[in-house]
Amino acid sequence: MSTAALSQSVLNGLALSGIYILIALGLTLVMSIMGIVQVAHGEIYMIGAYSVYYVVAVLGGNFFLGIVASALFVGGLGVVLERLCFRPFRGRADRAFTVSIALILILQNVVLALAGGNPRSFSSPITGVVHVLGIAISWKRLIIVIVGLGLLVALFLFIKLTRTGQAMLAISQEREGAALQGMNIDRISATAMFLGCGLAAVAGGFIGSLFSISPTMGSFALMKGIAVVILGGLGSIPGAVVGGLILGLVDGVLPALTTTHIAGLVGFAAIIMILIFRPQGIGGHAG
Amino acid sequence: MIPSLAGITTVCLFLLPLLLSGPYYIHVFILTMLNIVLAASLRLINLSGQMSLAHGGMMTIGAYTSALLVMKAGLSFWVAMPISGFVTALIAYIIGYPFVRLKGIYFSIVTIFFSEVVVLTAQQWQSLTQGAAGIFGIPRPNPVSLFGILHVNFSSKVDFYYLALVLMLICLIILYAVEKSRIGMILRGVQQADSLAESVGIDTTGFKVLAFAVGSFFPGVLGAFYSHYISAINPDAFAFLFTIYILIYMTVGGENRFFGPILGAAVLTILPEVSRPLKAFEPFVFAAVLIAVIFFVPEGMVGLPKMLNRALRSSEKEPTHA
Amino acid sequence: MLEIEGLSKFFGGLEAVSSVDMRVNAGEKLGLIGPNGAGKTTFFNLVSGTLKPTRGKVTFEGRDITGKSPHYIADKGIVRTFQGINIFPDFTVLENVVLSCHLKPGIGLVETVLRTRGSRRKERAILERSRAILELVGLDKLADAVAQSLAHGHKRILGIAVALAAEPKLLLLDEPLGGMNAGEVSETMALIDRLWHGGITILLIEHNMRATMNLCQRIVVLNFGRKIAEGTPDEIKANPDVIRAYLGAGGHAA
Repeated sequence: MSTAALSQSVLNGLALSGIYILIALGLTLVMSIMGIVQVAHGEIYMIGAYSVYYVVAVLGGNFFLGIVASALFVGGLGVVLERLCFRPFRGRADRAFTVSIALILILQNVVLALAGGNPRSFSSPITGVVHVLGIAISWKRLIIVIVGLGLLVALFLFIKLTRTGQAMLAISQEREGAALQGMNIDRISATAMFLGCGLAAVAGGFIGSLFSISPTMGSFALMKGIAVVILGGLGSIPGAVVGGLILGLVDGVLPALTTTHIAGLVGFAAIIMILIFRPQGIGGHAG
Repeated sequence: MIPSLAGITTVCLFLLPLLLSGPYYIHVFILTMLNIVLAASLRLINLSGQMSLAHGGMMTIGAYTSALLVMKAGLSFWVAMPISGFVTALIAYIIGYPFVRLKGIYFSIVTIFFSEVVVLTAQQWQSLTQGAAGIFGIPRPNPVSLFGILHVNFSSKVDFYYLALVLMLICLIILYAVEKSRIGMILRGVQQADSLAESVGIDTTGFKVLAFAVGSFFPGVLGAFYSHYISAINPDAFAFLFTIYILIYMTVGGENRFFGPILGAAVLTILPEVSRPLKAFEPFVFAAVLIAVIFFVPEGMVGLPKMLNRALRSSEKEPTHA
Repeated sequence: MLEIEGLSKFFGGLEAVSSVDMRVNAGEKLGLIGPNGAGKTTFFNLVSGTLKPTRGKVTFEGRDITGKSPHYIADKGIVRTFQGINIFPDFTVLENVVLSCHLKPGIGLVETVLRTRGSRRKERAILERSRAILELVGLDKLADAVAQSLAHGHKRILGIAVALAAEPKLLLLDEPLGGMNAGEVSETMALIDRLWHGGITILLIEHNMRATMNLCQRIVVLNFGRKIAEGTPDEIKANPDVIRAYLGAGGHAA
């Protein structure tokens, strides 16, 4: 295979990695800090995509503006959901899970009612290619990788430098112990939801710019998110990054190297192996 | 469960097809009976404290296994159906050991993932499963004759109705027997105090796997029924939303009593079919009911009489505080 | 009966239990004391299988049980009680004990589902045995009460009853007197004594010094995960290392 085609695939893979990492980080943040499986995470991502669509295709705004607006809006939505739906059930993971299920139904069908079931797409203003070392690289995907990386760095700094961030890390690593140290659980949970949903929204916006959006696009994100979280480690934030990177590259590069259905199987065979032999994933600690 | 009430209900169910007008309602009742067993079997796994979302995957495996055994290996449906159940039970037993070691929410996630892997495998393994298109033309169950006089060849929905009814009764009897046995007591003990159970000699891991495996037997069998009933199966038939609905039936009905999932499945399957507006807004209604139950009626529908009773009694008496 | 050699447990950098050597003889009443955080409960966890040791060996009745699972160890005859959750809260008092009763041979999985005559006979035997245990510990009047609703002292006694039902040869009691008033303490001490007379070896962790000194024939003292003293109650009371450990830690002495 030619270098050009290979580097296209790698870039595709990296872009997918970026998106998967954003989704998985959101899922892990909520999971390890609030102790719940937020299965409506896919729907949050979907709403993020539609928000970007609204700004870009309906309001005629700039793509980046759309991403930012979407992230803020969906992040805010996350905070509201945390307050109304999840806080009453703190400590009752099974009930919180059931609430998440209800949210899937509500969110998906509200969007369905408002926007109809047909897939839509918006044209990202970023088109064209840039030539690096003689290889044509799609701007769209490059932007995704760059912005994704930027967000990762920002998140990393937030965790490292702010007290809330440090608290979040502590809780994610040892939930029971951290709770005893007088941290403001309310504020930390709200922050986790804000960040988690915001990241998912950005991921949704990116996917929307590459492909199309529909009210049912959420399950794709949920399953990818879960795959990454399992691969990288249940409860592990760095694991989500590693897992997302691996899975994104596999999904991006493998189809170009082999026939599609083997590619699909390899990714999942690997994860099945992990599930059987080390269910807590590469970095996780879920025993 | 008052035995006589159960007896009367059973007789009514046997007579029901005579009253129903048209194959559509028979279909609704068949689905209801399937959902009842699915919700009740999910509850068995739940008894041990594990929230499994693998039922969708198990149903898919059961459906494909039976279809392939009959169509490719030439087995009779009556052999293939129980085998499908044992296949899913065996798979659950194998994946159970690594899975149950994971804490509650992580166990749930890996079961979600398991179901997804099943769907993807069915889509990708084209030589076996014919890929995303699925399998068509699955034959009806082989004709049987009961007591030498009654010949059933499954050419009409009513035949499937009675098969579903018999299956449901057998499955519920098994589930009830397991729950009332010492196994059920052990599972509940494990759910309440895992370490304590271990300390008195109970192999908690083993029992959690047992619950998972036995509970997963039933979607396997019902999956087999389903694929021969509809004559077709495709990978997405029992995707994530399917398992979620079963969870809803169990939760709304009441996960703490045996009768809960039965009630929940029955009401939530039949009601949308009887009321057109309800059907149109089904997801919202279900979500609303689910939220109402979690916030206000955690015991579920079966707990409603007790709750109303308590509410009525406390409003009659002068408020006294212990 | 129980031989412990060089038992150690590290949590990351922290050495919670450090090279402890100990022996429990059959038919003994042994007390394990030490200031808070000395590693006593961790020690119990290591012996009972709840935690796997980092180093060391645990031998029970000649059989190596190091690192085995808790239910295996319980099956071999070591049963422990817990400081925290020591009852099945949603079961009745009677059901708590019934669950913990096993028979040898026990009730098989299939026969219990089929409710064969054999399994029903065994269940009746279990029921009788459970009632006898409740009488022994003095909870028979409360047999049908939900465990969660019991007073604190009764819950602790129920915890002992649950452990008893599992037919222990060696009973590890983790602070059985916690939160009890004086009357309950003496009743429980009398109960433990009765159990010992019945042939059960007792290993006891307790903060209540007077009770421990009165009950136990021999005492082992832990501090910072190490064994610092061992001997009869009188010897221990006079031991300067022990006194220093308790005063130094601000703990209470006898």
